[in-house]
Amino acid sequence: MTEKHLKEGYYFWSGDVAAAEGAIAAGCRFYAGYPITPSSEVAETMALRLPQVGGKFIEMEDEIGSIAAIIGASWTGERSMTATSGPGISLMNENIGLAVMTEVPLVIVNAMRGAPSTGLPTLIGQGDLMQAKYGSHGSYEIITLYPNNIQEAFDLMFDAFNLAERYRVPVMYLLDGLLAHMYEKVYVPPREEWEKKIIRRKRAREGQLPYQPDEDMVPPMPLIGEGYNIHATGLTHDERGYPDLTPQAQEELVRRLNEKILKHERDIWKVEEYLTEDADIIVVSFGGESRAVKAGVNLARKEGIKAGMLRLITIWPFPWEYITKYSADYIVAELNYGQMYHLVREYSDNDVYQLNKMGGEIHTPEDVLKRIREVSS
Amino acid sequence: MSQNKKFKRKATVKVLEERCKGCWYCVNYCPTKVLQVSEKMNSKGYHPPVFKENIDENVVCIGCHLCELYCPDFAIVVEELE
Amino acid sequence: MSQMTDMRKTEEEWLRTERLPHVWCPGCGIGIVLNAFLRAVIRRNIPKEKMVVVSGIGCTGRTAGYVNVDSFHTTHGRAIPFAVGVKFARPDLNVVVFSGDGDLFAIGGNHFVNAARRNHDLLIIAVNNFTYGMTGGQHGPTTPTGAYTTTTPYGNPDRPFNIPHLAISLGAPYVARWTTYHVNQLQNSIYKALNMKGFRVIEIISQCPTVYGRRNSMRSPMSMMEYFQKNSVINNKASYEEMELTYKGKIVVGEFRNVGGIPSYEERYEEIIRRAQE
Repeated sequence: MTEKHLKEGYYFWSGDVAAAEGAIAAGCRFYAGYPITPSSEVAETMALRLPQVGGKFIEMEDEIGSIAAIIGASWTGERSMTATSGPGISLMNENIGLAVMTEVPLVIVNAMRGAPSTGLPTLIGQGDLMQAKYGSHGSYEIITLYPNNIQEAFDLMFDAFNLAERYRVPVMYLLDGLLAHMYEKVYVPPREEWEKKIIRRKRAREGQLPYQPDEDMVPPMPLIGEGYNIHATGLTHDERGYPDLTPQAQEELVRRLNEKILKHERDIWKVEEYLTEDADIIVVSFGGESRAVKAGVNLARKEGIKAGMLRLITIWPFPWEYITKYSADYIVAELNYGQMYHLVREYSDNDVYQLNKMGGEIHTPEDVLKRIREVSS
Repeated sequence: MSQNKKFKRKATVKVLEERCKGCWYCVNYCPTKVLQVSEKMNSKGYHPPVFKENIDENVVCIGCHLCELYCPDFAIVVEELE
Repeated sequence: MSQMTDMRKTEEEWLRTERLPHVWCPGCGIGIVLNAFLRAVIRRNIPKEKMVVVSGIGCTGRTAGYVNVDSFHTTHGRAIPFAVGVKFARPDLNVVVFSGDGDLFAIGGNHFVNAARRNHDLLIIAVNNFTYGMTGGQHGPTTPTGAYTTTTPYGNPDRPFNIPHLAISLGAPYVARWTTYHVNQLQNSIYKALNMKGFRVIEIISQCPTVYGRRNSMRSPMSMMEYFQKNSVINNKASYEEMELTYKGKIVVGEFRNVGGIPSYEERYEEIIRRAQE
């Protein structure tokens, strides 16, 4: 038996396939999932490819079981992932809370469809941005990344797994109906090169308690089977992991769970700033939609309008400093009734406009141009 | 130390009183009735059992460990005599 | 020192003794089951670092918090899929799901059914106390028809699960039922199951005097134990009908299924890896 790894070269992949291959390259060796459009090709790729590299794939009975299984697997030290679409995330949310509370690194792919409910299974939507952060009950922070092309769907997986391991937190990896099923050319570098990018899980010092944080507020993670006698519970707990149902323990734990992310937000943030330096009007966008926005900005520039695009690659923690640093007006282009619009408004001193579509398709560059014209006149 | 006619003394019962919640399965299931509910209370207000051998020479622990097996609170240790 | 005394001392090492006394009510049967479980594990000489205990939510769900091994108190109903993840990732570990009837068969029923079907190599210790104890004694998926609970104040109109029948129908290789009265049989049953492969299910009928017994004329711990003692019938060859539990009726206990040689999911996946790497 020999493991079969990706060879250097160019591949023609959909976003789902690229995300799955990116995950495997980034060290993912455990996948549990339940098929759902438009994410199913992630599962199919994992089923085919994981055993080739000695990894494990299991198709579970539902999304709740899927996320529970990857939480369990992550405790054994495996880089673990699941993929789904909005309805599946809705089912996973309770256990996303468990992963947050017990500080378990995971990557959860959400190929967003038109929503609410069953919505538009095969078509793009961007309505799960707030759900990504606020889906589970309680006050917490997780990390959310969102690529906008197929190369990036592959590359960004390294960040997803590294951030999950670095901060002991679930990372929501957003795709959308457009990216999931769209094919583009992807360059895969030689294995030695990509393996250098993998950051391994921090290990506990001798005698360090399972929830005793280092200076950076992140406790190194003990693993199952090493004699730590770990105890993990979704109940509010102390540094030993034992339930401590007091306001003091709650204050300490929940503050730390939020602050371990927020104190490092500048290290986490990733954005693309396109023609923003001199811009009077900046269109904020992300994912599949941002491809049309860029074209729209180019059209506006041709007309002499100083337009630019700020593409959020990190959705959460929200890269607010990229809003406050400009004195331009903003348009928030998104495929929902208005979600990130509220964040941009919170941080901008200038006017913030909306450009919404409820999903199913992205705006055309002309739609974007039209809106830029309207607000800049 | 006198011996019960029928049985040979084989063990003593140690009660970890602070773990006891007073279900008294031990008292009920002991075949030679060496345990009884004590008058005293532990800090949670339960009456733990007391090993009667200390007060009545005629009772004999035969070391069957039933009290230990039935104790839901890990409050009993049966120590066999060497 | 005798073996039994030794075992009792070793048991203390397997408990998080600093957390005792535990949360369970006076006379609650879960402690008896845990006691039997630990003894069986110690008899099997399983190293502590090779044992993982996963629980869900509820009274029995608290078990994970008292065993001094890698132990996980997960979300309601999700102990089995969590354990599936652990076992599938690390097949060399002994993974035990220790949870209650509501957790395993109501909210977690789908996971039980499918994990049994796939024959994951897990030992399921299912403590059945006929009720949701932690939330105050509501009716659950195993409450006998006619029983009184806080949500069946006129008697339970539902039919309870026949757990051994369910497990056998799904192909579980080892299925047994005992009550907390049967401390030795229970311990031996767990001892036997620990040495087997596949999805092993042991149902333990347990007493909840606090919120179940009190509404069904068994107010004291001893009165529930007496009910188990008087009404239990050991019958390893019981029919599915005989395994049904009825209100205050007979409790048929025994080792209902014990077959070897069915490959577990984890074993079958080794073949998948072999094929993928050909």
